[in-house]
Amino acid sequence: MSTFIEDNAPVIVQGMTGHQGMTHTARMLKAGTNIVGGVNPRKAGTAVTFPGARQGADAQIPVYATCADARTATGAKASVVFVPPRFAKDAIVEAIEAGIELIVVITEGIPVADSAYCVELALQHGVRIVGPNCPGLITLPSTPDGHGVNLGIIPDGIVPRGPLGLVSKSGTLTYQLMGELSDIGFTACLGAGGDPIVGTTLQEALKVFEADEDTRAVVMIGEIGGTAEQEAAAWAATHMTKPIVAYIAGFTAPEGKQMGHAGAIVSGGKGTAQDKKEALEAVGIRVGRTPGQAAAFMREILEERHIV
Amino acid sequence: MDLYEYQARELLDEQGIPTPRAIFAQNSHEVAEAADALGYPCVVKAQVKIGHRGQAGGVKLARTRDEAVLAAEQILPMTIHGHKVHGVLVAEAKNILHEYYVSISVDRSSRDFDVLATANGGTEVEEIAKEHPEAVKRLHITSLEDFDIEAARRMANAIGFYHADVEQAAQILLKMWRCFKDNDATLVEINPLAKIGDPDDESSKSLCALDAKISLDGNAAFRHDGWRRFEDPVHEDPFERRANEHGLHYVHLHGEVGVIGNGAGLVMSSLDAVSGAGEDQGTGIKPANFLDIGGGASAEVMKESLQIVLSDPQVESVFINVYGGITSCEQVAEGILEAIDVLEGSKPIVVRFDGNAAAEGLRILAESRNPNIHVCTTMEEAAQLAARIAADVKEGQA
Repeated sequence: MSTFIEDNAPVIVQGMTGHQGMTHTARMLKAGTNIVGGVNPRKAGTAVTFPGARQGADAQIPVYATCADARTATGAKASVVFVPPRFAKDAIVEAIEAGIELIVVITEGIPVADSAYCVELALQHGVRIVGPNCPGLITLPSTPDGHGVNLGIIPDGIVPRGPLGLVSKSGTLTYQLMGELSDIGFTACLGAGGDPIVGTTLQEALKVFEADEDTRAVVMIGEIGGTAEQEAAAWAATHMTKPIVAYIAGFTAPEGKQMGHAGAIVSGGKGTAQDKKEALEAVGIRVGRTPGQAAAFMREILEERHIV
Repeated sequence: MDLYEYQARELLDEQGIPTPRAIFAQNSHEVAEAADALGYPCVVKAQVKIGHRGQAGGVKLARTRDEAVLAAEQILPMTIHGHKVHGVLVAEAKNILHEYYVSISVDRSSRDFDVLATANGGTEVEEIAKEHPEAVKRLHITSLEDFDIEAARRMANAIGFYHADVEQAAQILLKMWRCFKDNDATLVEINPLAKIGDPDDESSKSLCALDAKISLDGNAAFRHDGWRRFEDPVHEDPFERRANEHGLHYVHLHGEVGVIGNGAGLVMSSLDAVSGAGEDQGTGIKPANFLDIGGGASAEVMKESLQIVLSDPQVESVFINVYGGITSCEQVAEGILEAIDVLEGSKPIVVRFDGNAAAEGLRILAESRNPNIHVCTTMEEAAQLAARIAADVKEGQA
């Protein structure tokens, strides 16, 4: 069974012809992602060549004027958005209205009002947004000859298929934990994003992993700001049958200072790492003091439950 | 980005929300002139970007010119909860008959906008929420809805404004929403929204925003000319300013171990590891800063970052923690060596590399044979070593 998106799903890239878009489209192709088109109204009708990107052969990726054109021509199910902040809202709305089912927004720096608008519109259309300000989503193939889907900037080849799911507010901590648990493997790793408003919350990701029969345990990485971890804990307490191990970053963050991510801020004494840790531990979720300890907790649980 | 009260008032004024007449002043001479112009009694209020300034003595009533000058002399040199007073707002004193509280903010949980209000104002809204949760109303405005005067009237009624105040309250709610939306705010709070006037003269009574707090979305700066009108260079930390000029996320934390990494989460995690090491070792060593070099950083970016961190005189050691995803550890290693070259020396640096080109990066560092560079395999070990070195240097100085 595949998580979040089926194996080999056709994918388009919005902002493919920009610097970031070019770099990561080449990388996603090399990882085996079925990229079928790019979107750029000024370059519609052309194609971009990615030398040696498709199993050693050149990949010719056509450019379409709109998401609607791209979807009609290719049947794309997912889109990855690398569009700069000031154009991101229009790009996401376009993807939603074109009937794209999964929109992964990598862009950092989108105004929160724009994100709120896009997320609400997506919910209304039954579309999933991942991000913004996230490293993307990677799924590992559910069959030996299938291709996983690498949407965004998560490095390929860190992990094989295995029984773990991962959801994280942070990019590098995602890679860190993937690296620590690379011998065990994952079904999917999802970067939820570091902005105050995101399309897929920690809780919503847990819900997907709970429903996925191949995922047996989940790693959840949180950070200061907001109450997404508390909401995930409350939901997990009554709905989650699979074990969760958590890690929270930012115990030393001072009040009122934004720590890199737009959403990583303790304000008015709310959103502290300590509060999150306590809320998680209160419902029996173990929280590692370091990423390494979180990985060790996961190994213990997998052994106790005879999962590996 | 938080605004001072006097700046927040400007944004309310632009929407036509009633505020008392007031003048911003930065020395006692200006305060005296402002007070004379506004008349007595007046209020002298510290301008700081932190709450509870009244309890800290940052707000004083002046009945005469002498009292206004005295208040200014007391308030202007103050530091309130670690924030230096930036000036004072001299405002007309109003006769308060009743206080309401209203705020609009981004609601991260429901992913829309939250209107928090109480008709029982006068104290901190958090306290009211604790003692009389039923008195605090929480309503929502969604992105796709058109919040108009009809919706504002329904909201004013739901909040529990007195019947006589409902119409004006609805107008103010609507204007607050415009202020919030037009300015890409993340918070617009009026506290108190006061009913003022002569208790015996019904026609003199009206609602007035006596104090306001506004925060703006830094991500939306591109829509507002970079928020240049609200720039505050005097109160910016010089290290933070220099880092911002280079597009780096830096937060000054005033400890002894400089911390540099890629990705906000990993850097926060590194800070926690350094603090934890300081506690474990019983030295109280803490991180000196947060510095995120971002994704795909070049040698140049790494070099600049290390120079900024090492220019902080409190820094005794540096912990560089990189998990190479897009970022190449090789580039980071080159940047470290270039910075040390330019600076002609360095404080001890503890490096932990993993991921993309980690082996190449470590080889470059090893080949430099620089005695100030130490390499560890895990971030826990690296944090312990960096904290230990900083403590030893400090003890040597003492």
